[in-house]
Amino acid sequence: MRNTTERRFMLKHLELLLLMVLLPFGIAQAQEVGPQDATAPAVDSSNPSDSSAVSLDTALEVVPPVEIAPPGAVTVSDFPNDAGDHLLVSFEPSPDEALGILVYRIYRRTPGATDGTEEWAVVKTVAAGDHTEIVDGYDPDYLVTQGTQYEYRVAAVTADCREIPGEVTVAQVVGRGEWFHTEKLKVLIGCIIFISLIFYYFKRAQMCHELYLRPIPGIDAIDEAIGRATEMGKPILYVPGLSGIEDVATIASLTILNRVAKKVAEYQTPLRVPNRDPIVYTVAEESVKQAYMEAGRPDSYEANSVFFVTDSQFAYVAAVNGLMTREKPATNFYLGMFWAESLLLAETGSLSGAIQIAGTDAITQLPFFITTCDYTLIGEELYAASAYLGREPKQVGSVKGQDACKGIVMTLVTVGIILSLVDIFTGGATDPSKSLLLKLQGLVDVTSLE
Amino acid sequence: MINWEKFLNIDRRWLYLLIAVVVIVPFFIRMGLPVVPSDEVRSIYNLVDSLGPDNAIFIGWDFDPGTEAENQPMGVAVLRHALDRHVPVFITAVSPLGQGLAEQGAASVFDTRIPGNFVYVPWAEWEPFRAAGYVGRDSLESAWKAAGNSLPEGARGWVFEGVDFALLGYLPYFGLVVLGMGTSIATQYPTDAYGNNLREMPMLRAHKNLREIDLAVTLAGSTACMYWVVYGTSRVGLPVAFGVTAVMATDYYPYIQSGQIVGMMGGLRGAAEYEVLEHEGGHTETTGKAYRGMDVQSLAHILIILFVILGNIAYFAGGFHKKTALKSGR
Amino acid sequence: MKRTVPMMIAMIGGIIMMIQYFIPHQVSQDVFNYYTEWAPLVGSFALVLGVGSLTRVHIHKIRAKAPNWPYSYAVLIPLYLIPVFAFFLPASIGGGTGKPSVFDFMYSRVQIPIQATMFSMLAFYIASAAFRAFRAKSALATILLVTAIIVMLAQVPIGDLFGRWLPDTGLWILRFPNLAAKRAIELGVGFGMLATCLKIIFGVERGWLGGAGE
Repeated sequence: MRNTTERRFMLKHLELLLLMVLLPFGIAQAQEVGPQDATAPAVDSSNPSDSSAVSLDTALEVVPPVEIAPPGAVTVSDFPNDAGDHLLVSFEPSPDEALGILVYRIYRRTPGATDGTEEWAVVKTVAAGDHTEIVDGYDPDYLVTQGTQYEYRVAAVTADCREIPGEVTVAQVVGRGEWFHTEKLKVLIGCIIFISLIFYYFKRAQMCHELYLRPIPGIDAIDEAIGRATEMGKPILYVPGLSGIEDVATIASLTILNRVAKKVAEYQTPLRVPNRDPIVYTVAEESVKQAYMEAGRPDSYEANSVFFVTDSQFAYVAAVNGLMTREKPATNFYLGMFWAESLLLAETGSLSGAIQIAGTDAITQLPFFITTCDYTLIGEELYAASAYLGREPKQVGSVKGQDACKGIVMTLVTVGIILSLVDIFTGGATDPSKSLLLKLQGLVDVTSLE
Repeated sequence: MINWEKFLNIDRRWLYLLIAVVVIVPFFIRMGLPVVPSDEVRSIYNLVDSLGPDNAIFIGWDFDPGTEAENQPMGVAVLRHALDRHVPVFITAVSPLGQGLAEQGAASVFDTRIPGNFVYVPWAEWEPFRAAGYVGRDSLESAWKAAGNSLPEGARGWVFEGVDFALLGYLPYFGLVVLGMGTSIATQYPTDAYGNNLREMPMLRAHKNLREIDLAVTLAGSTACMYWVVYGTSRVGLPVAFGVTAVMATDYYPYIQSGQIVGMMGGLRGAAEYEVLEHEGGHTETTGKAYRGMDVQSLAHILIILFVILGNIAYFAGGFHKKTALKSGR
Repeated sequence: MKRTVPMMIAMIGGIIMMIQYFIPHQVSQDVFNYYTEWAPLVGSFALVLGVGSLTRVHIHKIRAKAPNWPYSYAVLIPLYLIPVFAFFLPASIGGGTGKPSVFDFMYSRVQIPIQATMFSMLAFYIASAAFRAFRAKSALATILLVTAIIVMLAQVPIGDLFGRWLPDTGLWILRFPNLAAKRAIELGVGFGMLATCLKIIFGVERGWLGGAGE
């Protein structure tokens, strides 16, 4: 009796033993099939040119294949927050996964293609034991179309390259696009609050409420700097940053240029505006031209005062530095977005003896401007400059609106710091269940999701 | 008696001369100062080191010649490491100049006259093997060897174009290119920089879009590196690492803390740290250009600190802190 | 009309792009794709205008025999000659973009060294600026100065010779105080951008319109 049991045990395990011996060959084979064959519905293991495949086939002739159950049910659900071009496909793994299943292949086709007009396509291959849920629609060669009902089939691929197909399943759902991204609800709430605040201050400023703006020396100095150039009879150089029109800093710079150009036109001082971006160049040229017209001196406008140089960063620097050393402008403005060229420009300007006013939201370049320029507009001061120069009610209101937004954020940060400190003293920092900060964050999450 | 005013208004060219001397001398007198890798660089190295032939990475040569001294050694170091691990590498560039630099960087890794380099096998050269069905890396290399090819002395291995390496090159409006690659790499780059059909390349067939890419290392001297975060990480979850100039490095610490980027190589020091890790990991025979540059940088920093101290001594000793003086030395 | 149409385009475009961010539906994606396809086209046309501007400025200088006018030839000749070599002339006379070619020579032997030189000038300028402008004028300026020295030393291997504390302190400064200051400035910048964008979308800010703005 014992002998029979042992023999059965040994026979059963002999198959496993052989499988284990063959497994490395199988893995090598599976890897060799590689990406090129990943989409083929059937496995061709008879590649005559591959020595490992030959040895495997020879080995398989003597080893009877192990019976392996196919993968189970396939469930298809709609992928949330997408354009309807993704489906979530999950499947039950084969109960015999441990008996040598290497990978699962997920096949897809459109229903009604059972007459053979459309073949199954492998949309994904996943390693056994890895995960049993995939997002279908990521593969650019097999895109999911919104509203199309697909059929799925999952097949287990064994170490000896057999494919054990599961049942064909008609997808329970079709891909549907959503009209709101639920994970962006918090962003939406934040936007509504901040935008409302800015609008509120637009309105308030229009209703003739006197709003105080803290003086910014750099902006106050603009008039003085233009006056200096006029007195000296030298040109003014205005660099509108090196970024494109899509950069908000560039737009802020162009609005300041418009106001600077008006004053320059009034004083009849030469202006030089070299540009790195062709679109910025066209806008800057129009802006300056218009400023001269508004100042009542269209004939003073020089056609070559605004010009395009090059879109190459350091070639632009070379050109502007050359201009500074040759024409020696009395005043240099560097307003907009700057990178490594900031110091190269500002130091050359400093050497030429110009009064320099810079402004950028590029934080890493601020130290260079601060050390070499007479005045520097830091970060948001650049955006506020237009309001300071124009003093139109709505512009001033926008600055107050920004301050109010910052006030809210500062309050939240302060609450966060206090709660973090409380957590440190009450043990919440190490034990999440006691953390007041996490509780508050949870509260915010729950509120926003509701 | 020292005339402090005269000292403060010293001709700048003397300062320039001193910097020039300090920059040149260490090239002749090597100091070999030890470089200790930081966590920011180590995390990139560890990630690349954990990858293999089934994975793939992008290296974005997103800089211009201006920052070549800082960015190029980073690119070369990561490329060398990935190729040694047989990790397929796609190379892109934000500007046409960046593509030229990428070609130069790759050429320095494929120059077999130098020991420790790789032998580059162009796409057309292994066409017969492709036609015979050898597309898996191991079988291709076996067949390649069986056909009588052998590695030159000192070479670390073969790099098959289309299997291990593909130079995609430059495309305009790169932000939109990264956005498009989130869906399909081949729709953005139907061919590589040399006109080879990308869809035929095994490395593209295995990695069709950025979702199937394990890391993108962007080497930048401008905010171009942000394209990868904005359109790669946030849209398709692409892991991104930065290799940026030292000045820019301070800008990107928030991205490390928030987990948006895997790690960062900051300036020449970052590149030197990567070279040291690579050398310690046995992926290179010696450290590279960045490590050699560390001596120069050390002395230059010391000199600049000396300038700051001397400037301050003169400023206070001369009593200038009591006067109202214009900025910029005027 | 000249003023209203661009403002309406900005307003409608801005509001659509704002709403689009919250809608994942295909219709919304199509709008976004349509927009992104247009952007490069506009840019390409503007480049033609840019090259036209550059040409006009330098021709004017040459005609007027303005100071240093011969340099204008150094701009105009390569500007037009290199594309001719790169795209129109056969490789036998140095055309094309491969190696060897006039284009490749100009790129690798002229443009790369010149750009690298420009950037390397930073080292000299930083040294000069450090000597002239970095002063311990006040307590805050002194803290800034000491911090800068620590970070500078921490960035180079020679800092390790002072002990591990120095690079560790340098990294701590970069990771925490630097980060705090940076976030504070960035928050302000972020709200500044938000306000500027709203001003553009709703027509409060018109400087970007160029001549049509006012």
